[in-house]
Amino acid sequence: MIPGRLAPPKRLRGGAALAIAVKDATEIWRDGRFRWAAGLLLILLIAAIAGGVHNQSQIARQHADAQQAERDVWLDKGDMNPHAAAHYGAFVFKPVQPLSAIDPGLDPFVGVFVFLEAHKQQLARHRPIEDATPTRRLGQLTPASAALVLLPLLVVALTFSSFAGERDQGTLRPLLAMGISRRSLLAGKAMGAMLPLAAVIVPATIIGTLILIGNAPADPNAPIAARAAGIGAVYLIHTLIWVGLGLTISARSKSQGTALVILLAIWFANAFIMPPLAMAAAKWIDPSPSAIEFAAAIQDEKDSWPSWDQRVEKVMERFLDGEFESTMAPSNVEVVALLESEADETALYDRRFTELFQRYQRQARSFERVGAMAPTLAARSLSMALAGTDEAHDREFAAAAARYRTAMLTTLNGELASSGRFNTFDYTRGRDLWEKVPPFDYDVPSARWALSQVSWSASALVAWLIAIAIAAGWSVSSMRLE
Amino acid sequence: MIWFLVGHEWRVLKASTIVRLVIAVFAIALVVASALGTARAEAERATIARFAVSVPHFQPAPGMIGDGATPSMRADFAANERGYLALLPPAPLSALAIGQGDVYPNYIKVTARSLDALVSGDQIEHPLAVASGQFDAAFVVLFLYPLLIFAVSFDLTATERDRGTLRMVLAQPVTLGEVVAGKMIVRVCKLLIPMLLITVGTAALFSPTGADFWPRAMLWVVAIVVYGAVWHGIALVVNARGFSAPANALVLAGIWLLFAVVGPSCVNLLIAIRYPMPSRVEAAVQARAATQDATVQGSRQLGQFLQDHPTSGNVGREGMRQFAMLQAERDRKVAERLQAVEATFNAQLEKQRRLASWLSVLSPTMIAQGVLLDVAGTSTERFDHFRAEAASFQRQWQSYFEPRVLDAATLTPAEFAAAPSFDFVEEPFTLTARRVAMPIIVMAIFAAVLIAIGFRSYRGYQL
Repeated sequence: MIPGRLAPPKRLRGGAALAIAVKDATEIWRDGRFRWAAGLLLILLIAAIAGGVHNQSQIARQHADAQQAERDVWLDKGDMNPHAAAHYGAFVFKPVQPLSAIDPGLDPFVGVFVFLEAHKQQLARHRPIEDATPTRRLGQLTPASAALVLLPLLVVALTFSSFAGERDQGTLRPLLAMGISRRSLLAGKAMGAMLPLAAVIVPATIIGTLILIGNAPADPNAPIAARAAGIGAVYLIHTLIWVGLGLTISARSKSQGTALVILLAIWFANAFIMPPLAMAAAKWIDPSPSAIEFAAAIQDEKDSWPSWDQRVEKVMERFLDGEFESTMAPSNVEVVALLESEADETALYDRRFTELFQRYQRQARSFERVGAMAPTLAARSLSMALAGTDEAHDREFAAAAARYRTAMLTTLNGELASSGRFNTFDYTRGRDLWEKVPPFDYDVPSARWALSQVSWSASALVAWLIAIAIAAGWSVSSMRLE
Repeated sequence: MIWFLVGHEWRVLKASTIVRLVIAVFAIALVVASALGTARAEAERATIARFAVSVPHFQPAPGMIGDGATPSMRADFAANERGYLALLPPAPLSALAIGQGDVYPNYIKVTARSLDALVSGDQIEHPLAVASGQFDAAFVVLFLYPLLIFAVSFDLTATERDRGTLRMVLAQPVTLGEVVAGKMIVRVCKLLIPMLLITVGTAALFSPTGADFWPRAMLWVVAIVVYGAVWHGIALVVNARGFSAPANALVLAGIWLLFAVVGPSCVNLLIAIRYPMPSRVEAAVQARAATQDATVQGSRQLGQFLQDHPTSGNVGREGMRQFAMLQAERDRKVAERLQAVEATFNAQLEKQRRLASWLSVLSPTMIAQGVLLDVAGTSTERFDHFRAEAASFQRQWQSYFEPRVLDAATLTPAEFAAAPSFDFVEEPFTLTARRVAMPIIVMAIFAAVLIAIGFRSYRGYQL
């Protein structure tokens, strides 16, 4: 009864799939609505890429110029006490990743610079979202959002009627009666949807790559080819998952109307409901401290320490007890007190910040795990990771800034300790010492590292692709014909 | 007659599986959103209450010098190191819209210095949470509500016309306008009633209803009614075009996508390119350059006083006084220069924000978002107001403590008790009302025009 079970010769099978694909693609192409939708999406994609590259290059230039200006200011600040120089402090600006043009990810939501100074450690300040208009919270068009949110809609429009439409029109049974296997039918329908899609994806990719290369000349220190290829692969797999999903739902649904409604509901849940819900779940598992609690915990701990006077007195007592005689004793008890308090402060901030970042990391993990239910979320996590704009990259930057601060303070305070002068605070140094503090240099971790941070999402995305391929095969092989 | 039609339509929709499904989804989403919002608001309230009780600077604390019997504290320590925590209580309707509450901090540490006078860390919400948005009642209203309005009204008359039943209905002494109005009224009520009950109900039950609560809740209701009316109006206009039901559905889905998703995100891209906010990074560099001389000069002078680490033991009280004087002098100079840079930056930011806000009239979702946040009290405006209040409190704090700091004095408990304290005073409700009046009127005009066009087009409806 079911013709699909009588396998036709291989050659015919391939030919039939191709014929179906060509017929479907031609039909879709002739549909004015598709041309409108595809044209609009293509324009949006190109606008998103051009806008993204424009913004990225602007911000990257600002940050690079600022870092240079800051270095000049640091070197030219004239003679002063090394510890006064530590109080003078240094700004470290977050380097902007070239691929943030494709996926700005969390960049607008994390601080753009850190001020490094004696005694205090700060989190990166001034998240761009604070200065943006509140409407910015509704989302901004980026190449990533166009590829992960808008493109699936076009896929839905191309696939919802694939089988359900034929069934509604009563052409599904005659089609199979012609001796085409169900597998060929599936292959044909899949290709039939993907050919018109290619009309959007291929030009967007070519134009995007050209704009990207034209605007952000390759930096030998930041090889982005692997990361860019990875992002392309993620978007492609995500699109394929949606093609599979569309075909599966179309094969299983009663009518094309039902298929469309179900697919749109899945799309809405993927793009709009899942991100905030997954984050709510992550925060429920690992609640974040509020800003005030976080600041108060640090303050309370600092309050429990001896005051400066008491610290100096204690060091003096130890000095009188002869504690420093056998070593290269710093000549001034206050310097010892200073170095000790600085060490305590650095340890305190390191511990608290590490706790906070670990909590962020656990929340991001939970988010990834819950998000594995939605392929779009998994793809989003991967895209941000590969663009270098996710939470893990921000954490790496914060760690690099903290290390730089420690090195800077060690150089400056160490100089004070080894000056060998009695009135150490009267001791001034100049440019030669400032030059000993190297400029801040941050190396972005490799693409492999970035992927290893989101291995869960990578596995989820691949699992989705396999599952959806199996589901599509099964749905088509067992679908009703009318 | 129209109420008869409404009653009839009510019974028809009651039996419809799709409508029941839509209302169930809507109710579940609203309950989940309200529960999440309430939980957050509760947690915030508890935190604020905890910190408000232990007013930090009035308590004798470690770090004090004295003989124990008469606790006293160094004035600079009390005024600057400990400072004063100015707290912002949760907004009246914060359970309904988290808004900018995950971006701006709800506390500011006030000190008596000219520099670092107002210290506030950022809100330390996970950046992913800010990027993903919050699943609160405002989110459901802004995105899901219009979609569900379309889901229940894409087929006002198309199927009835195609089946021929509409013709029979019109054989009765009713006009098409009345039939359509009846259908609209039922659909408006079906979604509006559960939404208003759930959102306002949760907020009233679970948050303290202060003086401002009910007027704000009323505005919330008005804003939602008007916002819904715009979408109902769009649905009416599309229905009146006379397409088939599936065609209506497709067109409406496209309109939703355009106004609620693509429109706002394109406008935001346009703002980022056309009206970029001034760069904080450049401002930081400018501030650095502007304050360089004063900082370096101050540091050199203070260097004699062991930078920031004098002890009364090694310089004596007179030395501490001189140190305090020099530090205050340096701070004032640096702060003055910093203020000039900040003023330029803020003026530029304000200008860009104003220019950018004009673009939001392009989408009802963007207009409604601004209104809902402002009404809920979680908009940028309330945080700006809090900052301004804290700044004026800082002047009181400074004028109380500065003479004592300059005198290198130690304080008695009585002097602690007499220090000024901060109580946040909400912005008058009328100010909020005035701010949101215009956008609400704009939405109401849109809605009225759309509904008028819809009914007018229905006159030429082909049966």
